[in-house]
Amino acid sequence: MLRATQAGSGLVVSVLLLSGVVASAADPAATPGISAGQTAPAATPATGDPGLPFVYRRWEQFTTATGLPNDHVFAVRVHGDSVWIGTEDGLACLDKKSRKIKAWREQDGLPWRVISGIDVHPRTGEVWLGMFGGGLARFSGGRFDHWHQLNSGLVNDVVYGVAVENDNIWAATTAGASRYNTVTGEWSIFTEKNAPMEEIWNYGVCYADGYVYLGVWGSGVLEYDVQRGTWKDYLDPDGEMEIDLYRDDGIVHVITTGVSYIEKTLWVSTYFGACRYDGRHWRGFFSHECGVPSDFHNAVRARSANEAWYATDKGLGALADFATDTWVTYTSDHTAMKGKAVVKRGKQLLKEIEMPLSLPHDYALAVDFDGPDVWVGTSKGVGHAIGDGYYRGLRAAGAEAERGP
Amino acid sequence: MQRRSSSRMGVGLVMLGLAWLAGGVAVAWASGTGVSDRHPVYVGVSVCAGCHGDQKAGHQFSKWRVSKHAAAYAALWSPQAKAIARVSGIPEEPQKSRMCLGCHATAADAEGWEREEGFRIGDGVQCERCHGAGSEYGTAEVMRDRERALRAGLMMPDERACMLCHNVKGSHVAVLGSADFAYAPAVEKIAHPVPAGTRGQAVSPRHPTPARGGAGSGADPPGGAGTASNSVDEQRYTGVAVCGGCHDGPQMGYQFSRWRVSRHARAFAVLGTAAGCEMARREGVSGDPQNETKCLRCHATAAGEDGRRLEKGFCVREGVQCESCHGAGSAYWPEAIMRDRQAARRSGLVLPTPESCRACHENAHGKAFDAAAAWVMIAHPTRLPQAKAGLRYRTPVNLALSPDGRELYVACEAADAVLVVDAATGAVLAEVATGGQPMDVAFHPDGTRAYVTLRLDDTLAVIDTRSRAVTRVVAVGDEPHGVLTDAAGNSVYVLNTWSDTISVIDAGVQREAKRLAASRSPWSLALSPDGKVLAATNALSRFVPFRAPPVSEITLLDAERGTVQARVAVPGANLMQGIAWHPSGDFALVTLNRTKSLVPMTRLVQGWTITNGLGILWRDGRVDQVLLDEPDQSFPDAADVACTPDGRYALVTSSGSDRVAVVDVAKLLELLQRATPAEREHVLPNHMGKATEFVVKHIPTPASPRGIICAPDGKRAYVANALDDSLTVIDLGRLEAVGRIDLGGPREITKVRYGERLFHSADITFRRQFSCHSCHPDGHVDGVTYDIEPDGIGVSPVDNRTLRGILDTAPFKWEGTNPSLQRQCGARLAVFFTRIDPFTPEELAAVDAYICTIPRPPNRYRAVGAELTPAQRRGKLLFEREAGNDGRLIPVENRCATCHPVPLYTDRTQRDVGTRMWLDRTGKFDVPHLNNIYDSAPYLHNGIAETLEEIWTRFNPHDTHGVTNDMTKDQLNDLIEYLKTL
Repeated sequence: MLRATQAGSGLVVSVLLLSGVVASAADPAATPGISAGQTAPAATPATGDPGLPFVYRRWEQFTTATGLPNDHVFAVRVHGDSVWIGTEDGLACLDKKSRKIKAWREQDGLPWRVISGIDVHPRTGEVWLGMFGGGLARFSGGRFDHWHQLNSGLVNDVVYGVAVENDNIWAATTAGASRYNTVTGEWSIFTEKNAPMEEIWNYGVCYADGYVYLGVWGSGVLEYDVQRGTWKDYLDPDGEMEIDLYRDDGIVHVITTGVSYIEKTLWVSTYFGACRYDGRHWRGFFSHECGVPSDFHNAVRARSANEAWYATDKGLGALADFATDTWVTYTSDHTAMKGKAVVKRGKQLLKEIEMPLSLPHDYALAVDFDGPDVWVGTSKGVGHAIGDGYYRGLRAAGAEAERGP
Repeated sequence: MQRRSSSRMGVGLVMLGLAWLAGGVAVAWASGTGVSDRHPVYVGVSVCAGCHGDQKAGHQFSKWRVSKHAAAYAALWSPQAKAIARVSGIPEEPQKSRMCLGCHATAADAEGWEREEGFRIGDGVQCERCHGAGSEYGTAEVMRDRERALRAGLMMPDERACMLCHNVKGSHVAVLGSADFAYAPAVEKIAHPVPAGTRGQAVSPRHPTPARGGAGSGADPPGGAGTASNSVDEQRYTGVAVCGGCHDGPQMGYQFSRWRVSRHARAFAVLGTAAGCEMARREGVSGDPQNETKCLRCHATAAGEDGRRLEKGFCVREGVQCESCHGAGSAYWPEAIMRDRQAARRSGLVLPTPESCRACHENAHGKAFDAAAAWVMIAHPTRLPQAKAGLRYRTPVNLALSPDGRELYVACEAADAVLVVDAATGAVLAEVATGGQPMDVAFHPDGTRAYVTLRLDDTLAVIDTRSRAVTRVVAVGDEPHGVLTDAAGNSVYVLNTWSDTISVIDAGVQREAKRLAASRSPWSLALSPDGKVLAATNALSRFVPFRAPPVSEITLLDAERGTVQARVAVPGANLMQGIAWHPSGDFALVTLNRTKSLVPMTRLVQGWTITNGLGILWRDGRVDQVLLDEPDQSFPDAADVACTPDGRYALVTSSGSDRVAVVDVAKLLELLQRATPAEREHVLPNHMGKATEFVVKHIPTPASPRGIICAPDGKRAYVANALDDSLTVIDLGRLEAVGRIDLGGPREITKVRYGERLFHSADITFRRQFSCHSCHPDGHVDGVTYDIEPDGIGVSPVDNRTLRGILDTAPFKWEGTNPSLQRQCGARLAVFFTRIDPFTPEELAAVDAYICTIPRPPNRYRAVGAELTPAQRRGKLLFEREAGNDGRLIPVENRCATCHPVPLYTDRTQRDVGTRMWLDRTGKFDVPHLNNIYDSAPYLHNGIAETLEEIWTRFNPHDTHGVTNDMTKDQLNDLIEYLKTL
């Protein structure tokens, strides 16, 4: 059991340990982009039963049957009334108001069939697409603009992830990271030549609060300070590829698939576990000791310093309350055509909830938040978890139990 | 001679090392490649003079010093140089212009770290301009071994090297009148051989050199600059370079430059010439006159002085310097002292009189001396006589009516001002200076502010309408044109024509909030009557597949959110410029032309090539197109459109035929409604003659009507006549021009202005189909690849090229067949383009004069005097590289800098770089200049490369257009970043 309290200074100064969980003490100076002190849950009860997290019991699914161009969904991004969906064969946009899906394939002007990454410029509304083998595209006003190895300075056409950073567009590619300045037109390339990138196979990229984070296959996480133009690397200190020799000593594995940064906290997914860094302490998450359904993570998306969702090959693991290590795992039963949510605190099973519907497939690849709702990309379509009544952190069990499906 | 080293050079090499590390720039090592492993830097002529100055060296330094090369930089101060710059479209001071300095100085394109401390740009065309940067070969040890020196970077120039600068330049011919340059006699004239028998001998510098910092052997350590002393005899000589640090440039009457081109500056050097030696011999001097005090007394400053009186940097070779007349300057030279005349005099400043000159000049060598005349000759006041100001036209291009309807604000491109005109009386109330090239103007809805786009400055000026003054300048994108606010005035939208973007300005804080992607060359804006949609035209077509017709775009913006809502493609259209919503809000009207670029231009006589018309943009995104041309007379260069408030008429300006067409909107709609969908798609957009069904009147205007607006009361329309410096007032009831508002431009029509009118007039074209401006809007490009000659449909297509700053880039045409603008714009124009009688000689001269003055905008990627960014610096090394990444030498003919040398970045030849296609008659094409290359996409002779990257990633598979296939992607990016700075 872990409990965080807040000192007068506003920093978290004490932690409780239970079941091997280590929480953070604050030292904002420890790392420029990441600082401790963001771990306090929003609604943890004061004493006794810490309560239960919100469980998404209402789901809807979108597949080719409902208008997606393809069921293999690699990317999901919500912007306003639009849910942008990147698939193996086309781009789709679900209008939440009309609930209509519009799709674009190559014959509709989409420059490349496989959409592997999506980000939306918060000010301009431009949709930026990372395309697996096709480079980078911008979708604006119905027009696709296309940048690739031959017509631009993009380092490689195999783009896994894309992120908007101010006027720059970052692309995580199989041969390094590219940064495109949309104002000056300048392309910059980051590889082992000019960044601490031991491997150049970039999987994930995100931007928040002045920092760009790259998840790199074999090179952990790289942090780029936009203002200073400097790099910092996060590697697995034990250097072991197969095991996490010393727990919570750093990133759990250098084969990183996703990064998400929020409230000065970095969340990381790898193919061999997941972890979180608050600027001073690392915390690893493995399926044998907590609620995460698998150690094979495709992506991570954090909602706060206390909540993150991991897209794995065996379902969706939502760390609903980091402070108490409380997870909700969402899976689907294809044969029974049912869904299930399992609530765990550490290894302890707290609750199992059968649901008529859950995510379309356990092989999850992408997550995005939409207010209280959650959108999930899977290998069999998109799942939409409807968060009416959603609350952050935990609530007393009775209060949670009152909510029906 | 000692090996040079300096802190600056050290810094430079460190930077270079970092560049290599960061960018992976290949370094060709000395072993096996013959290429030096160190980046050479420029040391300056004074270092060369250390060994090449005396008699044993054949007085080589002196021969240079008396040559025009030595005064090449200084000569840029002259009125002729300014005139040359003016006719070349160079807006900046010649001594600051990279274009001028490229041939009038050494290392003009080098960064500061590439020049040693003693290097001075003011020394003009120095040794290293021809022999290469000297840091690596410039030691006696290396120079004794010619092969070694060559390996270390010594270059021996040939005719081609000389002709890169001495090739005939139209600008110089236009001003100086002579085009003659004969290579052989010129080389003979500047020949500077080492006398037989002395080659290879060690020579010792007798005279001090500034770069070495000493005053020669035995000199005391130099004192601190400006060390005061009460005794004039104790003052030390600082040398002319110290004086030149302040006493040059327009603010100081170019005093240093004027001295540099004087005989005084050459006085020491002439002693080393044959004539000087002979004179000395006649005077009884037997030795080297440059070592004889008798000669030096009057041919140099501080001759015979103790070395301790020579400051570091003083060089006797500079001849009769400032301190010969004004006294040794160590105590008075600091600016703080010089600004106080009395203090300066107390510190030793001497103010000479004509009598002062007599000591040397009276009966010198038996010549009479007129002191008064000489005094006038060498006068160097800080204030030069005010040059006669050139005529400044107004060139009104767009206008807006204040919300209360009382005042017209007129953007006057050539005047760099907005004129405020009383709408009722036509009186010019005020002239608001704005800055470079105002293009469009719009009012804030409450009328308190007017927003003006400044195309040259890349800014938006905010005018307070009460004070009629610019109160704020907001940075926007490249070459802004159209400007408009949303209905509430919360945001100001600015169209950046050459960065293809739309700046959204927060009107409250008056800062750019975001930048949206437009299509290409966004031009004008119109707000829908309901205030929800802003429609923006784009003048240039989107990039289309090779040999496909243009497709242009109208960009629709959500005026509430400030985002792009939709992009409407308009097939076949180009140069969409003016736009206006119909008051009903059902549609907007857009001016356009339809360029049949794949049809040979010679088909003009069939009525093809360029047609002109209107687009009708419906609210649902559909677009109709109709032509305003009639079979016997076209409607060239439709520039702007405005609707009457009642929606009955639309008025369209034709800047090429000086008319306003009055469109009866109901008749136009009726025509469209009558037509079948197929007719609307295929027939009406190309049907010449349909205009008679809906154009009810043509209203003549003075020269080049551009912007047009209708007053909200529906009584009047106003037209900006760009090349008449006037507004036309149209009575909307009578549909007649009822007045001309004179904006106060010069009455005189200069040759250039006349040429500008001809350039913008379609009178030269068969049935007035188009003007020069049609394909070269505002002197630039329309982004279209044309088939010109009658050799088949779409055969030998050539990319349109900019006219900005092209005067000295002859020959012209992609095949380089036109040696001059006169030929390009004369008979050839008539044969291939206009198909009627060519310009008369007078007209031709005027058109050429105008074209030459079309300025090249300031480079957006490197401001004048700015250092390169790290990426640009790495790219420069690649541009200049001599070996590939594998260390193998790149043949000279296949290096970037060989064909694209400074300052024009073209050697003005035709070369085959492997880009010939089956459509082409030849593989040899004109080497294009690279100045501002970033703003003239597409590239290559047929415009097949949409981006600079594609030139090498797609169209250089065999390394025939430079060796590029060995480059890593980051290297190519760096190279392109550098190219954009040229």
